[in-house]
Amino acid sequence: MDKLTRYSAVNTKIRVMEKEFLKREDYLNMLKKKSVADAARYLKENISYGKLLGEIHPDTVSRRDLEDILKRNMIKNMDKLIHYFRDDYKDLIRSLYIKYEVEDLKVLARSIFNGKEPETIEKPLSFLGKYSRVDPKRLFKSRTIRELIYSLEGSEFFEFLIPLVDGRRENLFRFEMALDMGYFNIIQSRKLKISGEDREMLKKWEGMIADLYNIQWIYRGKKFYHLSPEELLNYTINFGDKLTFADRKDMCYTKNLEELYRMTINSVYGFLFKKEEISRDIYMERRINRFMHYKLRALTRRLPMSIIQTIGYVWLLEFEIRDIISIIESIRYDLPPEEARKFLVKAA
Amino acid sequence: MSVEKMKIMGVIGKNNLLNRVLRLVTLNGSMHMINALVRVNSTDFFLPPSEENIEALEEEPFLRSYSSKRDFTKDEEVIKLLLNIFNIKPQLRMEFLGQDYDYDDFMKQFSNIYAKIRSTADEIEEKARLIDKKREYINNLKYLSRLSIDISRFIDMKYLVFRLIKISRENYDKLKKNYENIPAVVLKVAVEGKHVIVASITPVNLEETLEKIFSSLNYTILAIPREFSGTAAEITEELTKSIDEDQKVIESFKKSLEDYRIKYIKEFKKGYSRLEMEKKIEELKSEIAMGDKLFFMFGFVPVSNVTKLKSELENQFGDKVIILVDDINKSGLGITPPTKLNNIKLFRPFETLVKMYGTPAYHEKDPTAFFGLTYMLLFGAMFGDVGQGLILLFSGLILELGWKRTSLGGILSRIGLSSTLFGFIYGSVFGSEKILSPLIIRPMANINVMLVAAVVFGIALILSSYIYNIINSSLEKNIEEGLFGRNGAVGFVFYLILLYTIFRVFVTHSNILPVLIYIMVGLLLLMLFKQPLSNKLAHTDKLYRESPANYYVEEGFGIIETLLSMLSNTISFLRVGAFALNHVGLYIAFATLAGMMSTSWGNLAVLILGNIVIIALEGLIVFIQALRLEYYELFTKYYRGDGIEYIPVQIKGVSSVGRKISLNHKKVIPLGIGVYNFTTL
Repeated sequence: MDKLTRYSAVNTKIRVMEKEFLKREDYLNMLKKKSVADAARYLKENISYGKLLGEIHPDTVSRRDLEDILKRNMIKNMDKLIHYFRDDYKDLIRSLYIKYEVEDLKVLARSIFNGKEPETIEKPLSFLGKYSRVDPKRLFKSRTIRELIYSLEGSEFFEFLIPLVDGRRENLFRFEMALDMGYFNIIQSRKLKISGEDREMLKKWEGMIADLYNIQWIYRGKKFYHLSPEELLNYTINFGDKLTFADRKDMCYTKNLEELYRMTINSVYGFLFKKEEISRDIYMERRINRFMHYKLRALTRRLPMSIIQTIGYVWLLEFEIRDIISIIESIRYDLPPEEARKFLVKAA
Repeated sequence: MSVEKMKIMGVIGKNNLLNRVLRLVTLNGSMHMINALVRVNSTDFFLPPSEENIEALEEEPFLRSYSSKRDFTKDEEVIKLLLNIFNIKPQLRMEFLGQDYDYDDFMKQFSNIYAKIRSTADEIEEKARLIDKKREYINNLKYLSRLSIDISRFIDMKYLVFRLIKISRENYDKLKKNYENIPAVVLKVAVEGKHVIVASITPVNLEETLEKIFSSLNYTILAIPREFSGTAAEITEELTKSIDEDQKVIESFKKSLEDYRIKYIKEFKKGYSRLEMEKKIEELKSEIAMGDKLFFMFGFVPVSNVTKLKSELENQFGDKVIILVDDINKSGLGITPPTKLNNIKLFRPFETLVKMYGTPAYHEKDPTAFFGLTYMLLFGAMFGDVGQGLILLFSGLILELGWKRTSLGGILSRIGLSSTLFGFIYGSVFGSEKILSPLIIRPMANINVMLVAAVVFGIALILSSYIYNIINSSLEKNIEEGLFGRNGAVGFVFYLILLYTIFRVFVTHSNILPVLIYIMVGLLLLMLFKQPLSNKLAHTDKLYRESPANYYVEEGFGIIETLLSMLSNTISFLRVGAFALNHVGLYIAFATLAGMMSTSWGNLAVLILGNIVIIALEGLIVFIQALRLEYYELFTKYYRGDGIEYIPVQIKGVSSVGRKISLNHKKVIPLGIGVYNFTTL
């Protein structure tokens, strides 16, 4: 199938759905709101989110409910897009769910670890089961990490988690690490029948993400967790775009952080370490997201008839939800708009 | 060939007899239960004030519905386990249910046996787990088989730690590439699928560091037995031996289970049947009324079954229960009797199609025979073909007799038969008109005759449905509909006169008789005033059930609708002729296509394909069209179908006496082998 027939319908759909994205003014207006209710009302009254928030009462809505609605909308839109594809492309788009499901699984594991009831979890876990096809009810029944692992039996995550049970290492840290490892292993080891151009693009895109996450991981592991270089290295994502295994190894075996900065400052990813140290810790994740945001915008312009259009839409939608939630949070904690803006991905 | 007559039967007895009575009634399978409280409170319920009824009369005002639901989960667990262990097929047996027994006493005997069997089963499972563990050891030792040293020396090392682990290939890669930084001797022992088996030796003081590193590689430890010494081969041998021993123990356990099986198998089977029965009768109890000492139950029983059920009850319980049998006519308006259709074999499958529209009311005339006959005629007339009809007939028979799909197969075979007969009338075999000469008519050659005949046939059907409605209304004593209604006597006369008038004008070309017009207008007026007129005749106080204004608006439109529908209903039957023509036409199309084929094989193939399409597509269309004519043109005139279906309490899937004996014999043979299934333990 040539790419024109494959992408023209879905791209049209994406263009229409992109119209629903918030505009720059919308972000700025929302930042100025004084209460969560005001912000929710703004969303409800002014823009395309109105129809989603239909049955919600802005005065009583919580951040959690709002996030749940936004995430469900994201699922709905992603499911819509999946219908436009067939065969391996369907699997590819579906695999975009892994990232979000893994995130939700981690939140669930954390709350189980802290002995919380599923109903009291701060975040809505809307993506559970979207990739693994496990019934979320089964997951919510788990009372220990071990039970959670067993409730994932039958899903692709299980084989990465079961060694934890066998080795009696089913603690939170290992669980999270094993899930991440599983995530990157799944997306790397799958053999998709997709066009050569898409494959190249996907490899580059996923490699770039892996690079960014690896650097972030090594930095944090060194600075906060004081892990041994061997462990650090073993936990890195085993592929990348610019960084080779040797690069990663060198980064893990640097003596101190200074050496790490020096090593990366002149690479493509040097932006991560620019500016003063305090901002590195707080804004690193946002810088990564913003870097991806710009990268996506450039890529989607350059490759109009490729899979990056769909991937890009999903990521941008994710960033938008992140931003809305960030705005709501900063309103809740009375952050001045100028400060709050520094946490946003899409508009700043 | 009608709706079967019913009687209301009531049983009153001591509470402790309730389960037994219900069991008997369920096995008898002819009582359609009704709510006992409703029955007791209905106006015509009457307990004769005789001596044996005294207690019942005392309790009557204080009855309440049965509320406590019994919980069978424990019993179910027991029976399920027993069936599983002894691999008994769950099967309901009449012989176990027919006996008079007390369920609780019967279940009690299981509690002891169950505990013993359960513990034996648990022990077997425990042993099986041990065997699994040992097999795993053997599997792990396989990786060390190249070493001809005593394995225990590895394990008991004082300053070094030996491990055998499994990690993914990808992680092994990481380990290998960073080998210079790993504080251990690491040896790749084997590669299995996506995993690599690795042996490592490290000093005790570095063990912790290594553990962290291996953890970050997401390893799985492969256990090696500590309690054995010798080389891998020797230990494996020892383990194999002990597995054999374990298996012998399991065998002996299984033998002891076998003894239970031989001794109690009948009881276990009984247990299943009786538990299922108990669950079923527990469901029925919601319809029962309970007093302090007595229970009351009521239900409809077909007249033909009354004596049988009564004598069964009397035989088993004698004078311990009071049995009441009342005629339906006496019963109050509160309880609608259920309808049990009883038709001759030819029409019985059509009951399904009638019920699809609605079950006839108890007092209504069962339309099945008329429906069946006319449906066959309509289908045959539209789809008359000897060859295709026979195909339908035989596929219907296969479904009916072979696959026991009685209603679908029955309908198919009967319409197939009718299609075949009409095929002879039209002289058509698989669409071809060259093989047979028609007995009566060739549709394509006499198009007008076909269409007119269809309308005449339709008129005959419509007239009979008028008569049907008049009979039904007179059974219901409904003057309004039966006499003055648009489908009643007045409508009937009006329709006849209308037809006569049309006949005069269009066929004999004579003038319209003014008298006829006056009569028709008069009849229409009668229809318009049907409610006040009938209420006058019946000497009812009120002339209208609702406000007169509403009534006249509604009826005014009703009159217009009547005129329209009389015409459209009649013309609607044109389709019978049209489809008869269509059938030929479709074949002609395929025959032309076949003629265009160059080879005779191609010719034949197109004809076969054409016939398949005709049977599947046209058969379906005609099936639906005939159904439409029946439902819309005819049923709306005379059939209300607001009855309740007769559903007697029964327990499904009880195997008959004859079969169960032969099964018993078969079961004896595999006893020695004993298949065990522990998955649910």
